[in-house]
Amino acid sequence: MASSKRSSASIRVVRKRRIPVIALLMLFLISLIAPGCIQTDEIDQGEPASDIWSEDYANQIFPWASADNDQLQFRAYHDYFSMKARMQVLADRNPDFFQFHEGLLGGTNARGNEMTSADYEGWYYNHLSPWMKITGNVQDGDYNEFNGDDGNYADRPDIMLVGNHHAREWMSYEVPMFFLETIAYYYGMAGVDNDGDGLVDEDGWDGIDNDGDCSRLNETAQDSNGDGVACGPGDLGVDEDFSEQFITDMVNTREIYLIPLLNVDGNRYDREVFCGPEAYNGCDSNSPGWRKNLRDNTVTGITPIPDTDEEVNEGCDGVDLNRNYQFEWGLLIGVTPVPGVCTFGDPDFSQTYPGPIDTVDNDGDGRINEDHVDGKDDDADGEVDEDWMGGNSEPETKFIQDMTEMNDDNGDGASDFKTSLSWHSYSELVLWPWGHCNDGCVTPDDEYLTYHGDIMGQMTDYAAFQSGDFYPTQGDFCDWQYGVHQSYCYTIEIGNNFHEQPDDIAHISVRNLGIPFYMLEIADDPRYRAVVGIQNTTGTQWVDSPDEVMVPSRGEIPVGLCLEESFPFTSDINRTHLKWRLVEPTRQQDDFGPTEWVSVDWRLSPFELTNEPCVLLDGSNGTRISSNIPAPDTAVGKIHYKAVLGTTNGAFPFTYPDPDTSNYYELSITYRASFGSGILALMMFALIATMVWGGLGYTLRAMFDDERGVLGLPPDYESEEDV
Amino acid sequence: MQSGGSDEFSGRLGLIFATIGAAIGTGNIWRFPRMVGANGGGSFLVPWLIFLFLWSVPLIIAEFALGKRSRTGTVGTFRIFSGNKFAWMGLWTAWISTAIGFYYAVVTGWCINYFQTAIRGGLGSEVDTVQVWNDFLQDPLQVVFFQALAVIITMAAIWKGAKAIEKVNVTLMVSLFILLFAALFLAFVMDLDDGSLDGFVYMFSIQPQYLVQPETWINGLSQSAWSCSAGMGMAITYSVYMRKDEDTTLNAATMCLANNSISIIAGLTVMMAVFSVSDDPLSAVSGGSSAITFLVLPEVFAKAPGGPVVQLLMVTMFFLALSFAALTSMISTVELCVRNFVDHGIERQKAVGFTTLAIFLFGLPSAAMWILVDSETGVAFPQFLEVQDHIWGYGLMFSGLFIAYSIWKYGWNRYKVWQYENDITSFSFRDYLDHGVSSFRDDFINTGDNDWWIGKWWDYIMYLGFPIMFSVLILSYFSDLILNVSDPWNPANANGVSIILLFWGVTAGLFISMNKFVLVNRVTSMNSSLWPPNWDLEPRPLYRNVPEGAEVSIDTLPGGEDPFIVQVGDTLPATFVDDYGDTRTYSGSSIEAELA
Repeated sequence: MASSKRSSASIRVVRKRRIPVIALLMLFLISLIAPGCIQTDEIDQGEPASDIWSEDYANQIFPWASADNDQLQFRAYHDYFSMKARMQVLADRNPDFFQFHEGLLGGTNARGNEMTSADYEGWYYNHLSPWMKITGNVQDGDYNEFNGDDGNYADRPDIMLVGNHHAREWMSYEVPMFFLETIAYYYGMAGVDNDGDGLVDEDGWDGIDNDGDCSRLNETAQDSNGDGVACGPGDLGVDEDFSEQFITDMVNTREIYLIPLLNVDGNRYDREVFCGPEAYNGCDSNSPGWRKNLRDNTVTGITPIPDTDEEVNEGCDGVDLNRNYQFEWGLLIGVTPVPGVCTFGDPDFSQTYPGPIDTVDNDGDGRINEDHVDGKDDDADGEVDEDWMGGNSEPETKFIQDMTEMNDDNGDGASDFKTSLSWHSYSELVLWPWGHCNDGCVTPDDEYLTYHGDIMGQMTDYAAFQSGDFYPTQGDFCDWQYGVHQSYCYTIEIGNNFHEQPDDIAHISVRNLGIPFYMLEIADDPRYRAVVGIQNTTGTQWVDSPDEVMVPSRGEIPVGLCLEESFPFTSDINRTHLKWRLVEPTRQQDDFGPTEWVSVDWRLSPFELTNEPCVLLDGSNGTRISSNIPAPDTAVGKIHYKAVLGTTNGAFPFTYPDPDTSNYYELSITYRASFGSGILALMMFALIATMVWGGLGYTLRAMFDDERGVLGLPPDYESEEDV
Repeated sequence: MQSGGSDEFSGRLGLIFATIGAAIGTGNIWRFPRMVGANGGGSFLVPWLIFLFLWSVPLIIAEFALGKRSRTGTVGTFRIFSGNKFAWMGLWTAWISTAIGFYYAVVTGWCINYFQTAIRGGLGSEVDTVQVWNDFLQDPLQVVFFQALAVIITMAAIWKGAKAIEKVNVTLMVSLFILLFAALFLAFVMDLDDGSLDGFVYMFSIQPQYLVQPETWINGLSQSAWSCSAGMGMAITYSVYMRKDEDTTLNAATMCLANNSISIIAGLTVMMAVFSVSDDPLSAVSGGSSAITFLVLPEVFAKAPGGPVVQLLMVTMFFLALSFAALTSMISTVELCVRNFVDHGIERQKAVGFTTLAIFLFGLPSAAMWILVDSETGVAFPQFLEVQDHIWGYGLMFSGLFIAYSIWKYGWNRYKVWQYENDITSFSFRDYLDHGVSSFRDDFINTGDNDWWIGKWWDYIMYLGFPIMFSVLILSYFSDLILNVSDPWNPANANGVSIILLFWGVTAGLFISMNKFVLVNRVTSMNSSLWPPNWDLEPRPLYRNVPEGAEVSIDTLPGGEDPFIVQVGDTLPATFVDDYGDTRTYSGSSIEAELA
């Protein structure tokens, strides 16, 4: 019995197997015909999300609130009040590392002005912007009298994270709230299996499905956020199991100033009046929502403002807060703002109204606006930027500026914010200074800003480039943070809408979660981290060795370089190029020595980006850049080449191959042109043969033909000869 | 030795074979294909052919005419045609040729060694040709052995004089033709085997871009000048053995055309063989130096279709042909030197022995010194030999210039005589053209013995074309050295400019200073004391080799009035007039007469 059982079991097993074997064979056959290689995983039905992950994670239920709490599960928007309440709750629950604040206490600010807390209240609804001070042992540390926060440590780098400069950009305060919830929940934990797959910390923030769990889903489920990219950032299973220890470490070693909702006035107005609480249902298609704050520009009522008696004039009122910072304020676009006049006919100008011109003699020297904020001493009086043209006119921007300038834990007179971040929406971008100029105008730190920006771009699959290349913005937060305070500042344009559908809040937040943590991580020394990072990438990059160069049968010879995507690549030929020279045997060789080569000057060929992928030396994916060597087809000999890879402003010339091991690669090239036409060669042969062999025959015949007279004898000599 | 002292070729063919043998050397077989490869195939053939008629043929005509009249070697020819003060030009010509002979004997030895290696099957398809080459070159004993063999064969060939030279040359040249034609046929089959005659097509395809490059033309000129041995003095030497009514013009053309014919055959053989086998034929061909012969060709022939017998046959034939070509050139080189000694009264056998011994000894450093290995390719090369070639190879150009000079000098002399005869004192360019420029051609070329009448074009080439071509060659050579050689002015740089100028300068200076004391005169002692203040000069006799019935006057030549230029057997004058105008008794006359 036992044996028959066993045999029947084995038969069953065999039968069961037979089908997949045939299927695999079929697949193999199909794959032979198919243009690309088909992986069996994709054909398989895939595993259901619930088999891979915990039920909560599979349904995107966040652990910090009950599943039916739409706001805390990021399925519904917070408003100002619920958000502030939630911040207070979190601060109450986590007094060790959260401290809730609203506005600033005031006092004498860095410019010597007496400020009160009320100076930071919105014009219309009179709220102070709520903010959270986040750092380990926040109740200890120094107390900052002006800002009103504890937990100031001279040895902790500070980070400012600001959401919602623009009222209608609702995701720009949901992402900070998501960030806050994440810290609140995971701080102090370690080794949490976030997705319930039995693994711990196996997929951190880098935009890549490191553990491959997303790709185990069936094909349709792999793009859970519907952005068209399977297993990209924001999809289930991507970057889902980050390190909690990292979060704890970051909080304990950094001071974080999180201001999720800067423009409370504007946001309330957008939600309550202009668009309504369901703005996502049609407001964007009627009008793009309310952008600015609620400054009264029409001054029809009681002055000075605020004139709360008056209705908001929607065609004119308000200041674009992200044009109200002082660095290069009001320039570039050519607007000459007149106090009280918000628009000059063009409604677009009204949308970006940067605030009134400053009419105060800020330094008391009897002159007005003689030293604009641009980092230079325009009037050569020894003080820099001391009498500005405008900006900093709004309570919200004053709040940011004073908070920045009064946060000086180590007392060196400079802002402590090493990095800063400003959330906006929309367009799916990572931007960095400069914003006020473009077309080759770059910051001194361009390659480092580019490096970090590219990494955050990869993390989110957002496009990353200099802000001014998107569109020029004067008086922007990041230009001011970087231009005045040398803070590495990034603007994130979240998502694809001002008012995203509530269903999309959660996955967009997930997609953007890595960025603020990255800003925390690099805040200790963003420049040094970029330097080291760039140098690390260069070790994994490689240029085609002579064996890898495919010499085409005609024309230019392409040489590729595998580029790490975060490398701040520039296509400027002066900085990035393939340096090459054609070395041919000289035409005048010694008859007995070794081959002599013509020494020629090096020439440069530009590198251009291709979309071809390549594999870096560390096994990760890179992008191929390619350069063409215009060697003539008739060339015979060798091509010496090396790639010089420069960063955007040239501080890093990297050379491939590694100059420590060899100076350049040497590629042998053979004659590639046609050898000639057979018929023409035959004709030439006939000509040469006639002249040489024919000539020889002729002379030989003449030599032995005594009958014949002298060749070429002139007629007048002939008679003499006869005689 | 009375009257039988003159020595001559038995017939016209003998002379032609000897001169062809001298002209055809390794340059035809390994330099020509390289030049074709490096200079755009058919594009190179155009200047190469043009300069055959602009440089080689006119110069060989001049050499034949000079030698036929002077009946002496190079030193005597210049003494007679350019005057006593310029005998050193002949010495320069002889020296350049001999200095080339020093290392050429080594190269001839290589060829012979490769022949014997080939015939023993040592160059089959399985051998590493670099290994074979390096093993050979780095073993001084082997190299010297084959060098000595080459020298001994050469010595044997010329021991007996013109008749023997003729016999050896005819045999070797006929064999060379047969061997080359057989190799050409095999190469043709090889190249056709892959369906396209690409070697043939490349060699005869004009690539227009090359035609407009000056390098192509300069290389065409230099190849044409080198390959025919024009200006080397070889034709002067061999024309000493001409019969009295021998042709000088058609022979020159025949010799040069034959040389170029062989170049084409050898070039086609090499090109077709290399193109049929090599993946990268052009870099194999144009890559450089002797490597193509000793590294590439054995490899190529080893892959010849038709099995091991054909392969063995091919490689053996090729190296035998190469050895023959080198040997005949070697013979002319040694003969050129020997002739000069014989002219000055030294016994032929003694001169041959002495010369060959010197060529062997002075060739030793080239054979065994500074054998380096090219770090890039791992191929051994003889640096000393390369430096020798570098220095003396281009010295050849000056020999050509000197030959042209002797013709200019003769023309000017004749114009002066004409002026004197017609009582004209003022210079007239018209008269100079009529009575000076064309006089060499009238007097010595269009003599009635020739089958080819030479027109005015020859004067244009000699008086105008030659200086221009010479300048272009020398300027391009030096600018190439200065521009393409790193650190060219460092005298320690073996490939530099300074070392060449140094050697040339020292040599020329030495020869010029020897002119009066060694070449034209000889030092005697006034009172048997060897102390230099007691030294005295008396004329050095020069013996011409004049065949019976071919006596021609040299009285009108610049050096022709010298009574000490005599034929073998003539009695030397008993007295001479010294530099101070005193008439003195010639001390050697009795001895010389006895000798005669």
